[in-house]
Amino acid sequence: MNRFGVVALGAALILAIVATVAPFFLRRYGIYLISMWAVLTIAAIGLNLTLGYAGQVSLAQGAFVGIGAYTVALLTQSGWPYPAAFVCAGALCFAIGWVLGYPALRVAHHYLAFVTLAFTTLVFLVLRNEEWLTNGIYGINGIERPMFFGWSTGSALDFYFFCLGMLAVLSAATWWMLRSPWGRAFLALRENPIRALSLGLDTRRYTLMAFAIGSSLGGMAGALYAPLVQFIEPGSFGLGMSFNLLLMVIVGGSGYFFGPFVGALVAVLLPEWTRFTEGYYLLIYAALVMVMMAFSPSGLLGLVERVSKVMTRRAASPLALRAKGTEP
Amino acid sequence: MSAVLEVSNLRKSFGGITAVHDVSFDVREGEILGIIGPNGSGKSTLFNCVLGQLQPNAGEVRVDGRPTTGMRPCDLNGLGVSRTFQLLQVFPQLSVRDNLILAGQEHRGSMLSRLFGRSDAGLGDAAERMISFFQLSHLADEQAGALSYGQQKLLDAAMAFMAGPRLVLLDEPAGGVNLTMLAHLRERLRAYHAERNATFVVIEHQMEFVMALCTRVLVLAEGRIIAQGAPQDIRRNPIVIEAYLGH
Repeated sequence: MNRFGVVALGAALILAIVATVAPFFLRRYGIYLISMWAVLTIAAIGLNLTLGYAGQVSLAQGAFVGIGAYTVALLTQSGWPYPAAFVCAGALCFAIGWVLGYPALRVAHHYLAFVTLAFTTLVFLVLRNEEWLTNGIYGINGIERPMFFGWSTGSALDFYFFCLGMLAVLSAATWWMLRSPWGRAFLALRENPIRALSLGLDTRRYTLMAFAIGSSLGGMAGALYAPLVQFIEPGSFGLGMSFNLLLMVIVGGSGYFFGPFVGALVAVLLPEWTRFTEGYYLLIYAALVMVMMAFSPSGLLGLVERVSKVMTRRAASPLALRAKGTEP
Repeated sequence: MSAVLEVSNLRKSFGGITAVHDVSFDVREGEILGIIGPNGSGKSTLFNCVLGQLQPNAGEVRVDGRPTTGMRPCDLNGLGVSRTFQLLQVFPQLSVRDNLILAGQEHRGSMLSRLFGRSDAGLGDAAERMISFFQLSHLADEQAGALSYGQQKLLDAAMAFMAGPRLVLLDEPAGGVNLTMLAHLRERLRAYHAERNATFVVIEHQMEFVMALCTRVLVLAEGRIIAQGAPQDIRRNPIVIEAYLGH
């Protein structure tokens, strides 16, 4: 295994231990927050795949979380078992994501951002106006948390571990896919689609696949979101959520595997930590994001990478060796 | 010898300008055909029409006797036709090794089998051989973007050979490369040609490079073929001299 693999494995291990131990030191609201972190991380992993790896701008991830949440809420309330509803949410978003990928074959960058933005608005309008299906602005109430072979996830702690388990499974699956030749193909799509095409990459199929898989992860996050908050309404899945997910990917470090984990943590915790400033907390949050974007456009993990590169270079330079040698 | 590539009456216009004018030629198996001509003579447009990057207005392209006009570049690549571009086209954030694996992976199994297969698509050894063949071993793990221009140009050419193509079209492989690197590139191309009996078509401005490498040369001016023949004859051809040096 190369150095990067070792670092990644170490990071995953530490993350797993912290995430497992953390809830025992937290109160109910804290557990709710880290459950939200796990759910939003899954959605951000999906967006990171579409945007960070394959280079396709999308402002529609929030809409897919919404589609997933409504699918699960409606299906479980009409008597479907949760696992079946979960799979349906993922599959439906895969299909819709595939179709949404078609505009990406024709337009790119900010034009594509507009297409996906329009899609988010469209989904919001459907959720709000089609009352016969979605109950409109009143939303859906009393969404049950699932039960697996006698294990009820009704309590906050149990449901957190369910979310964490799903995060582990889905991020491992994404890791697997990214280390396969598909991961290389997605990067090629981002870096140079014309050369990729001439090297035999069916760029059309990979673009659609990047959208479909990314959207599917959004849908599965939604399938966890609904039973977590237990009440959903169209307003939750508007542009605000899509922008928030985009922010998580960018702040964490777009194109870094662990970027979404970090970005979602910042997005969930920072507003809470700065709450003592009362009305100013959003202002501070926005200002911090602006400062970070100006100094490290590659996000927090990009910053970490840069700093560690400087450190290793300094450690390896003869000047540093001499300085060490003269120490008493 | 049979023709690997047949181009007949190919025409491409952009608005009122006809960049390629009913051009016809064959490329025979194992030859290195050079295409030369002044700037704007339609060389790159011709390449792009042959390779599916552009749709020709008229004419036909055949690879091994099979019509390929208008075929997508990725499908054409699947038939064993590979190319480089005039401007450098490597994947800067990928390592040299990953650039090479990427260049061959789509020829290994189906898309689904690649998802569940090995990370290097079974191309690790082939990439290693290509790296040492092009003498890039000390750079194998570097990001391609960190290489010098000439080294990237070598990598660019190496990528075109990764899938073991029958026909390679090189668009100005020598452009912007210094003399030492140029000799190296020429020698590598020649060695690859000798080893695999591959067929090359090379667009080039650098006359010495063309004369030393190519077995036959075709001269394009204003979208038409004005001369073709052995390199030493082309060099003395008065029509060619006039096209290049003006009136």
